[in-house]
Parts: sequence; structure tokens; C-alpha cells
Amino acid sequence: MSARQANAPAGSPIAEALAKRRVVICVGSGGVGKTTIAASLALGAAVEQQSTLVCTIDPARRLANSLGLKELGNAETRIAPSQLAAAGLPPGSPLFAMMLDMKRTWDEFIERHAPPNRKEQILANRFYRSLSSVLAGSQEYIAMEELWQLRMHRDYRLIVLDTPPAGHAKDFLDAPNRVLDFLDNDAAKWLLTPALTAGKFGLHLFGSGSGYIAKTLAKLTGAETLEHLADFMLAMSSMNESFRQRARQVRALLASQETAFVLVTTPQLERLQEAVEFHTELLQNHMNVAAVIVNRVTAAPLPRDWSDASELQSPLREKVQRTLQENSALADEDAKAMAQLEADCRPTPLVSVLRMEQEVHDLKGLWKVAGALVTGTTPAAPSESV
Amino acid sequence: MDKRLWIVSGKGGVGKSTISTALAVLFASRGERTLLCEVNASDRFANLVGGGRVGPEIVALADQLWAVNLQPEASLREYALSILKFESIYKAVFENRLVSYFLRFIPSIQELVMLGKIIFHVEERLESEEPKYQRVVVDAPATGHAISFFSIPRVLINTVPPGRLSREAERMRLLLENPRITTAVLVSLPEEMPVNETIDLAAGLSERAHVQTDLVVLNGYVEERFTAGDIEALAAAPSLQRAAIQHRAEAASSSAFRRRLAEALARPVVAVPRLFIYPFGRGAVDAVARTLEPALKALG
Repeated sequence: MSARQANAPAGSPIAEALAKRRVVICVGSGGVGKTTIAASLALGAAVEQQSTLVCTIDPARRLANSLGLKELGNAETRIAPSQLAAAGLPPGSPLFAMMLDMKRTWDEFIERHAPPNRKEQILANRFYRSLSSVLAGSQEYIAMEELWQLRMHRDYRLIVLDTPPAGHAKDFLDAPNRVLDFLDNDAAKWLLTPALTAGKFGLHLFGSGSGYIAKTLAKLTGAETLEHLADFMLAMSSMNESFRQRARQVRALLASQETAFVLVTTPQLERLQEAVEFHTELLQNHMNVAAVIVNRVTAAPLPRDWSDASELQSPLREKVQRTLQENSALADEDAKAMAQLEADCRPTPLVSVLRMEQEVHDLKGLWKVAGALVTGTTPAAPSESV
Repeated sequence: MDKRLWIVSGKGGVGKSTISTALAVLFASRGERTLLCEVNASDRFANLVGGGRVGPEIVALADQLWAVNLQPEASLREYALSILKFESIYKAVFENRLVSYFLRFIPSIQELVMLGKIIFHVEERLESEEPKYQRVVVDAPATGHAISFFSIPRVLINTVPPGRLSREAERMRLLLENPRITTAVLVSLPEEMPVNETIDLAAGLSERAHVQTDLVVLNGYVEERFTAGDIEALAAAPSLQRAAIQHRAEAASSSAFRRRLAEALARPVVAVPRLFIYPFGRGAVDAVARTLEPALKALG
């Protein structure tokens, strides 16, 4: 396929999103190929001479290598013209890639927003150090913090964001609220009031009206654990206003016309329900969903394949026929799932990407996926998609 | 091969539930009383085995086969009741919305109580003093979570002062770290990310949780079918040739990743072939169980 073939046919939902939006967010559960899709979308846009950044979370090593990420760490890195040229792509395509570093982004946030006398205390707290497990949603939150920083302070025409695996849209959309909920709600205030007034946690918790509850809790968790947690919350609560403001800003960016989501899934029946719910939640939250991308779809054999196969010599004939039968069974299952998905996500277009002959781990592979995404038509009636 | 606690883990989406169910079905089919545990997941066992839905109470799925879906709230309640003894205290404390809020943010408490319940069932005895369940198979959380999940006793022992909690943790630790009782079965797919994760997972379980891996299951394995000569012979039918090339590529990565796993982990790797059985239910689980059987015998 030549580079020019990616020129979008009119009405391709992906091409339209890449041309019109400033931010495209890939969401979906783990193992569906989100990172590959995100990198392909970015490549597709960059080849059209749009300066594009793909921000990924945890790419496969070979994919990271092909994007030149490994040796250059987490900084935004331009894909070298020589790499693009080697894959037969326009060498000047302005494609940039970076890996999201959760720890560094959090540290920067603390540096920026924490009062100077609290910084050390926060950075040294053991709950802060295991923040991602303490705070549900902190990974998602920090991905959005990074997105916000990039959108405000860089001038890429398009940013494609890969996201942590999530089974539900709310894991992602509510992340800022959940961080806020942790720091700033009635329960936290009530438990922390003695500490807040004393400026210190310690014995106050156990001596106050909440003492009975705190003591019982401490039986299970150890008093020290509670104290560490309270210290952490106390220190973090000095930043509530910053969190609240950022939550509003991010929410506005996500819902704005410059942003679109693509929901990535695979056609297995067991993933279906999850994808449909995810899609519904996105719409309920007034997000723009450019497309549902169904990755690794098996194409049904053509009628011609069966007749060609019957003319082969044994044992090649049996080998080919068995392969066609297997592909046919897979394709039937995929078709059922896709028809269901199409009906349940209407009117959002479905874009399918056929299973590649090889695992995608280089720019050539990404370019093939980009071609499938950009030229993908809708609805891809699965029984005829050959 | 008298190991009692079988921990099945791997990257998300590799077929952990299928492999744990197949293991449990295999044990039960030999007449061993077997408990299959899911950890706070959407119930997959019922679809795989047939039988009713599986919730936080143990249910019988088949002859000699029971299942339970561990949930943090239910496990915490059981655990707290066993310590506090009185329902009224439990209610006053744990059903307090302030406390439930706090508990949500203490990272290991949920995992601790679920792990505690698993260990309880491993140690549970009948009146005859025989183990109530001869085998406990855990459909464990995925990679990163599995390592922290099974490291909890060690982490606790190092962080909490001596007392009830640290004694509990010590008891759990001894059981998990005993390779005659506990074993990990790691599930992978013949693809780069799952294989990398499997290698990291085996190291993490060994170094951080001191849990020994004895078996690796390479799920979705594709045996070579087309030779290079076959591919050439199909030149006249490009569409068939593409299908053959794809199959050959899948077979090549299957065997390459099998070698890589075997070399990196120095453990037996059982290949479970990709199955084309729809819907994927009891019949498919039985087929998987049959492919696992020789490997389990060899472990013995």
C-alpha cells in the first residue's frame, strides 16, 4: 500500500475525527490492542502532514522500539525520518511519541500545586509512594493531567491518547472526581477534624468522639496505617482547590468538540457486553464517540476459496480445507458479535480491523492498521466483510 | 503431586478462568473434593461448567466440585466477625459509612481478607480430620495484582506491630511459601506482551511472594500445518496462500514463544491448542482438561 492511499474517502468516521479533532482518546479493556490502534491513528494523521503526538501507557517492547521510545525515555520524541523512510512512508511526517510516566507526572503535579512546606511531607509519605494502588483512578487521573498539560502547553495539531485498561467509562471519566472524593468529603473531614484542628493526627483520632471506631479499625489495620493515611490526606487536602479546578478543566476538555473518543474492542462474545456498556456510559456523559473499533476480526473465506481448495492435491487439500473451516467458524462467531455490537451502539459507526498476518510491531504494520482504520466503512456488515 | 493450593495467574485475557476451571474439573473427575475460587470478578464459572451462578457463598457446581466468588465486602464481614465475635459491634463499626469510606482507601485490607478466606478453606477440616477440600484452585488476579495479592502476608509482617494481624499474616505466609502445599500455574498466549508478562510474573511471585511456579500453560497454541513448500504450491490461489501464510506465522510464533518461555522459566510448558468450539462451555473445558492431564501427571 502506498502512503497516499490513506487519503480518506469521504465519510470515513476515523478520517473525519483525525482531521477535525485536536484530541483523540483510545479507551477499552486490556489486551484489545489499544496501544497499537492509538499509534496507528497517530501515524495516519502524521502522514497527512498533521503534527501528531501519540501518548502511550505501556507499549509492547518491540512497538516501543519501532517508535524509538526505548532509548529516549519518556520525553516527547520525534520518529526519525530514516525510520519512516525505511517503512516506505514520507520521511517528513511529523509524528511524535511519548510514554506516560505516572510517577513523574504525579511528582510534577505535587511540585506545582502543593504548598512549599507540605511538599517534602507528601513526597515522603508511604501512601504517596504507592499512590496508584491507594487511589482508585489515580492512573486514569494522571493520564488526563498529562493530556491537559500537553494540550495547553504544546502546539500539536493532534494528540492521540492511549489510556490504562478500563472496563468502564466511569473509571476514566470519574477519575478526577474520585480523587476529590478521597480528599474532600464529609467522612474524611469528620475523621480528620481533630487532626485538622491540631495540625497533627496522632492521639487525637483515638481520643476524640471517633475513638471507638478508630480503635476497632486499628485492630484490623494497625494504628500506624491509619496515621499514615491520615497524614497523607491532610497533606494532600491543601491541594483540594487545585484538584477541583483541574477536574473541571479536564471534564470540559473531554466533552468539548475538539475531543473525540474511540472505543477499542475485539469481537469475542465475552467482551461484547462490556463494550456496549462502555459505549452507553460515554454517550450518557455527553462525550463524542467517533467510532467503535473492532480489532482482530477474522474474515470469512470467499466462496472461491472453497472451490480452489477442492482442486488441490492431498494432503495440501485437507490442510487448506481444515484452515478454511476454522477461519469460517471464527468468522461466524465474530460476525455474530459484530452484528450485536452494531445494533447496540447505533448510531456510532463500527470500524473493523482484520486480524493481521503477523503481530503488529513496526511502522509498516502500524501503517497497514492505519489504512484499515481510515478506509473502514460503516457499517461493516460482517457477513459480507471479505 | 499432593499440592493443595493451585494459583492460576497471567495477563488479562489469556484464559485464566478457562484454565483454572479445567484444572478444577480434572481434580474433581478423579474424585478429589475441589473448591474453585474466583477473586472479585464477574462470574465466569457458571458459563464454563454449567450449574448455577456463583456468588460469595460456596455452591456445588458438579460432583466433587464447589465454587465461590470471593468479594471484599463479604470476606471482610466474615473476617471481622471472626475477630470481633459480635454482630452488633460489626454493624456499629463496619456498616458505619465513615468507616466503609476509610476502608476503601486502605490498600491491602480487601486483598488480605480475601486471601484469608482462601487460606481458611485450604486449612478447613472435616470431622474425620481430613481436609474439607483436597484441592483449592484460585482463578487469581492478573499479573501486577497477583504479585501484590500474594505478597500481602510478607508486607504486613514487615509493617504491622506484633499482634493478631501479624500472627494471621505469618500463618498465611508459611502456607503460601511452602512449595509442597502451594503452586502457581501461569497462563500465557503465544504473543509478545502476554509472554513478557508471564516471565515477569514468575520472577515477581518468586522474589516478592516466595510462591513457586511449577507449570506454564501456553493457551491458544497453533501447531505447524503448512510447510514452506506448501506455501509455494499455493501461489496460484493468492487468497488461500494468505490464509496459509497467516497460519504458518501463528505456528511459528507459537513454537518460538514456547521455547522462550521454557528457556526463561526452566519449567515445563504445556501447549493448549486453540479450540474452535462454540459456544465455549463445558465441552471446551473438558477438552482443555484432557490436554492438561499428562502435564500434571508428569509434575507428580
